[in-house]
Amino acid sequence: MNGKIEINRLNKVFKRADTAENFCAIEDLSLEIESGEFVSIVGTSGCGKSTLLRIIAGLETPTHGEVLCGGNTVSGTSPSRGMVFQEHTLFPWMSVRKNIVFALKSAGRFKMFGGDVDTLLETAGLTDFANSFPHQLSGGMRQRAALIRSLAVSPDVLLLDEPLGALDSFTRMVLQDEIIRLWKERGNTMLLITHDVDEAVYLSNRIIVMSPRPGRIAEIVSVPMSYPRNRGASEFAQLRTRLLKRLNFASDTQMDYYL
Amino acid sequence: MRNYLVSVLPAVVSVLIIAQYLLVPNFRQFTALDQNAPSNTFVWFMGFFVVLFSAWYVAGFFSKRAAKALRKRAPIFTAVLLLLLAYDWATLSAGMLPQPFVPWPDAILNAIIRDREILARSVFHSLRLLFTGYGIGAALGIICGVAAGSSEKIRYWISPVVKVLGSIPAVTWLPVILVLSASLFQGAVFLIALAVWYPVTSTTMNGVLNVPKGTFEAAATFGVSKIGMIFKVAIPASSPFIFQGLTQGMSIACTALLIAELMGVEAGLGWYINWQRGWADFAAMYGAVVIICITFFAVNAVLNVIKSRVLRWKEGG
Repeated sequence: MNGKIEINRLNKVFKRADTAENFCAIEDLSLEIESGEFVSIVGTSGCGKSTLLRIIAGLETPTHGEVLCGGNTVSGTSPSRGMVFQEHTLFPWMSVRKNIVFALKSAGRFKMFGGDVDTLLETAGLTDFANSFPHQLSGGMRQRAALIRSLAVSPDVLLLDEPLGALDSFTRMVLQDEIIRLWKERGNTMLLITHDVDEAVYLSNRIIVMSPRPGRIAEIVSVPMSYPRNRGASEFAQLRTRLLKRLNFASDTQMDYYL
Repeated sequence: MRNYLVSVLPAVVSVLIIAQYLLVPNFRQFTALDQNAPSNTFVWFMGFFVVLFSAWYVAGFFSKRAAKALRKRAPIFTAVLLLLLAYDWATLSAGMLPQPFVPWPDAILNAIIRDREILARSVFHSLRLLFTGYGIGAALGIICGVAAGSSEKIRYWISPVVKVLGSIPAVTWLPVILVLSASLFQGAVFLIALAVWYPVTSTTMNGVLNVPKGTFEAAATFGVSKIGMIFKVAIPASSPFIFQGLTQGMSIACTALLIAELMGVEAGLGWYINWQRGWADFAAMYGAVVIICITFFAVNAVLNVIKSRVLRWKEGG
């Protein structure tokens, strides 16, 4: 498995639909992500983080520059680069089990996988819902199913586009632990987009802060804490404050007193 | 009202119908030579319902499900039976409705039994025509709809055709088609296929356009092939829309079928009605109407069963 991602001087220009002006979503962005690394991208809306992820997935083409994944230039989608979207994209006409089998068969990895879908469902706690249709599941279970469906095809890189953004905070924390467990188990590269600074600190080896208009990297922050992480640790809080400051959501001056 | 009283009503009214048929004097005397002279057919027919509803009522004492099902349907059954009672009284007993244009149930039943062979053949011809046209129209509609939904270039050409030609009722073309086509059967098949093609194309196109982008993108990340995107993603994802078109198409197809048969095709139920009109056999015409009702009802019921099977995955569906 080689999940190394190299991004060389990437540019993405969109034509705006309303004014016909060009709009630079990503400008001259270079980045290297090691195989097996967990990297998060945080940034305010419109900083180009979703575009970046979609280019790596092969769903968008870069205007200039290139993306290499495992040493090969990305052109088009591939089962080696999985993606989990914010809205679960389970196929509503298939049961959970059929969704996974369909993904495996489409990726040509059903035989290699050994067809042991049951074990996979069991580890995700979805055994009782294997034959349920997506609309019969709760939001958290749907995202869990979407996650294991993407991981079932054993991608070298899993791209997560705010997969937990639409869930309540308790479900989110449960699924964050789930993501870490699956990542540790498989050792693939994880690239996560999130609006939630806590989530980024809890999950990642490195956090990339992006700034908008045009989208570029503002800062790369390493998270030296070991897993599992303690959300209440002072180190955790310091990192969170540092990131929020970088995103201009926390003031530099400490408040002396509270009203 | 108490549940058991409501549930027994269908059986009671069925008995009442027999009583009114046998005991209330007819509006005129019939001789054995009269074609529509009252017979025992209607008694047997209603007797069947007396037995059916009584047995169902008794079964209710042993099975809660049977009791519930009967209690739920008893009011509408009773209403329909009361209408039948009123109809039989108004025609045969009171002679209120203009005769011989409105035959009584016994005469209609006898006409159906007398012409059962030719009616069966007519049903067969009608269904063969319906399904041939419907099958061709639906298949072409799904192909065109998926193509138009997936490709902007194809949509540019198909969408106006559906919008402009689709607003013309397909049967408008009937006179032209009957002149131009090699055989009346082929012409009618073409007409029905055309009638079905519009709604199926337009709903399928909308269905494909309404599939969330993420569904295709997720499929793409699994490496689904181009053909797979059409058959395994686009078509199942838009199946609720496709079935909407298939249902609309079926009702238009039934209309087109009957008009084609009434206007020229020399077989089928529409033809039978016309033929009996020539003989002024009103009982037989009404009989054909009853058979048409049963046939189309059955066809739509089968379509609905298929629909609910296929769309089992749908929320609330």
